[in-house]
Amino acid sequence: MDLRFIPDDMNWICQPCGVPLEARKVEITYLNASFKVELPVCPKCGRIMVEEELATGRMFEVEQLLEDK
Amino acid sequence: MRNQNDLHDVEARCTEEQPPACSAGCPLGIDVRAFVLAMKEKSFSKAWKLLERGMPLPGVTVRLCEAPCENFCLRGELGDAIAISALEKVCLREAEHSTPIRPLPARGKKVRCIGGGASSLACAWDLAKKGYSVEIVASEGGAGAALKARLPEGALEKELEKLEGMNVRFRTTTSLTAEERVTDEIDALYIGHDDFTSGLPADLACDEFTRQCSTPQIFTGGASPQDSFITGLSDGRQAALSIDRFLQNASLTTGRFPLRHGQTTLSPETEGIEHLPRIAPAGDMYTAEEAAAEAARCIDCHCLRCVRACVYLQEYGDFPRKHARAIFNNFSIYQGVHGAYSLIDSCSLCRQCEEICPTNFSMADICLDARERLVEAGDIPPNAHYFALQEMHHAQEETSLLRHAPGHSASKVLFYPGCQLAAMRPQQVWILYNYLRGIEEETGIWLDCCGAPAHWAGRKAETKEINARFRERWLEMGSPKIVTACSSCLEHFREDGGLEVDSVWNLLVKFPPEGIHAANIPLALSDPCTARWDEETKESVRTLLQDCGQQLAPLAASGKTTECCGFGGLMENANPQLAQKVIEARVAQSEQPFLTWCAMCRDRLAKTGKPVYHILDLIFPSQARDPAEPPATISERRYNRHLLQKKFLVELYGEKETADKPWDSINIDMEEDIRLLLDSRHILEDDIRRTLAAREESDAFFVNSDGRERASAKLGDVTFWVEYRREGYIYHILRAWSHRMNLVKEGD
Ligand code: SF4
Ligand code: SF4
Ligand code: SF4
Ligand SMILES: [Zn+2]
Repeated sequence: MDLRFIPDDMNWICQPCGVPLEARKVEITYLNASFKVELPVCPKCGRIMVEEELATGRMFEVEQLLEDK
Repeated sequence: MRNQNDLHDVEARCTEEQPPACSAGCPLGIDVRAFVLAMKEKSFSKAWKLLERGMPLPGVTVRLCEAPCENFCLRGELGDAIAISALEKVCLREAEHSTPIRPLPARGKKVRCIGGGASSLACAWDLAKKGYSVEIVASEGGAGAALKARLPEGALEKELEKLEGMNVRFRTTTSLTAEERVTDEIDALYIGHDDFTSGLPADLACDEFTRQCSTPQIFTGGASPQDSFITGLSDGRQAALSIDRFLQNASLTTGRFPLRHGQTTLSPETEGIEHLPRIAPAGDMYTAEEAAAEAARCIDCHCLRCVRACVYLQEYGDFPRKHARAIFNNFSIYQGVHGAYSLIDSCSLCRQCEEICPTNFSMADICLDARERLVEAGDIPPNAHYFALQEMHHAQEETSLLRHAPGHSASKVLFYPGCQLAAMRPQQVWILYNYLRGIEEETGIWLDCCGAPAHWAGRKAETKEINARFRERWLEMGSPKIVTACSSCLEHFREDGGLEVDSVWNLLVKFPPEGIHAANIPLALSDPCTARWDEETKESVRTLLQDCGQQLAPLAASGKTTECCGFGGLMENANPQLAQKVIEARVAQSEQPFLTWCAMCRDRLAKTGKPVYHILDLIFPSQARDPAEPPATISERRYNRHLLQKKFLVELYGEKETADKPWDSINIDMEEDIRLLLDSRHILEDDIRRTLAAREESDAFFVNSDGRERASAKLGDVTFWVEYRREGYIYHILRAWSHRMNLVKEGD
């Protein structure tokens, strides 16, 4: 899995925190695997944003790979 | 329950690995099919290797073999047998190269072969190759003398040199004495009857299969010098095989097949193959071109009937026996099926293969059994059947209904439309139910999902539970006859549920509605795969159509050999791309619009853009739908089931609507292309509403400087994301996506 997945458009603000998202390393898990990935995250509340391209692309591929292992 | 042995029996039923008739007719078992194919491609050196590998004394054998294979060649029934012998001679001319044969390391065991005929030479050849020390004792003329006259100059010598190269020693004798047959100094003795005319023991009886005599060290063969060359050669080879086993103290027969004499269970499809006569050479012998043309007549005998008919099998390559073996081996070695999940989960369980296969091999049984084992072991990929099972649960829990007819307290009949017809054609269910009440007023209604998806997903325990629940409810209703419009429900109730059930089409054929009306063009009738062996219902459907004057266009795979629409076995869930290929291939089988009597088939086939009628469009023209109408989206299907349930409750039973869900008040709006995108991603409008309801409750979302917002929620195992613009209370949906991976928030 790519270690970094930050969209070109980073003009996103977390509500209700009211602060812009930042690229941060977070953990994502599936079945028994876990990965460290850089994603847009709210620095205040820690909520993570997943882009459409990531969900339907790399994430989906990895899900399938892990399922068929 | 099926055990490993049964499954191996199933596996063994596929005959694709059996030899073609030509190989079965070759006493040496040469891979004739591969040889002929190589000749067709003019790959002479490859072709030669195939001969050389399997033949003792290839330069002699090619020239003298009487080619019994040709007697069995399947092309013989379709013109003339392939000129296998002539092709072998061309191959020899084009590609003979004498690769010196390197025998295996010496074994320190001695064998004497008496006779210089084909049988003794073959026996010596095979044994020397295996590392035995071999001595040939020929009659006066020397080894191969009887063959020499029929061979071109030097041909025999070339092969004898190869024998010498393998350290075979030659000796001749004028009269064969009894001493030559004493086995004191040697470990085994072969006596060929195709050379010496005297001095041979008169009553040398042997076992026909192993060629072993009553004295265990002695083997024999080669009936007489006049006998056919290839029979003698074959005797020698069989004896060599036995001698090798004998000298290793192994059983002479275990795992060894007798000569096939042309018999094989491989049964290639020959229908529709054009008759073609043998190519005659312009000169004495075929030119390379002529040989390739002759070889091109070979029909390349394979079975593969099921593979040719099934898009799924084509997708995974090979043939059922190989898949079955791979799956079984996986189970027995790893207790899992790493890498084979998609193979196991993608089969539509339609059983077309079982019908087509000459020995009824069932890939469906193999896949269903594997799914059941995986589910039992808790080892099924979470995604494979998730959505279909969710839909099943929704239909069972949220939109089911079971009532006697209004104003009645008993039912003689229970109409069970099936969850798919309810989901795709609620108005037609309504009108059909009212029509059935005209036939029998005590006709109750049962909206539900029969549980076939759980069965297809391999969830045995859950299926059993569902079946028990159904049975209980049916008994509570006084066990009336169930009449269903869905062939999957019918099959499921009959085979797994133990309920009394019939098809609605069998009833309608006895009471055809007045207005029943044919379409004005011939239609290709596609039977649902779950009705493959339901002769009575297929007949009723045809009678109904015939009586209203509907013309039918021919469709090759129909009736017993009909094809699945890609929904069966949850194929569409596990492998949507493949399911799409399946329907594309299906609709390409006829230029005409399609007609079917299964709601799922109608919508699946219509997904290709092909006009597809449902039989109810003809039966109740007032409620006919446009055959060009696209399939209902997953959200529409849910909506329709709700609608139907509501209509029954309110209009027939005068009850209040069921309570709305808290998220039903969320107001969403989207363009058509987004609706289709969501459908293809298995995202329900309900999922969107629930995500937005969660957003309203938590007031947490992301907002872009251009005004777009994004909200997300984890519903069950899936996290949904919605991108939208808000305008007052309306959410204009721009995009939506989902994933199953979990996001770990810092500090969690
Ligand atoms: S047609 Fe070809 S493959 Fe079939 S039996 Fe004849 S030579 Fe063999
Ligand atoms: S999809 Fe149907 S025909 Fe193909 S292997 Fe499965 S059960 Fe057999
Ligand atoms: S139809 Fe398919 S399963 Fe049956 S013998 Fe032929 S290749 Fe094997
Ligand atoms: Zn925040």
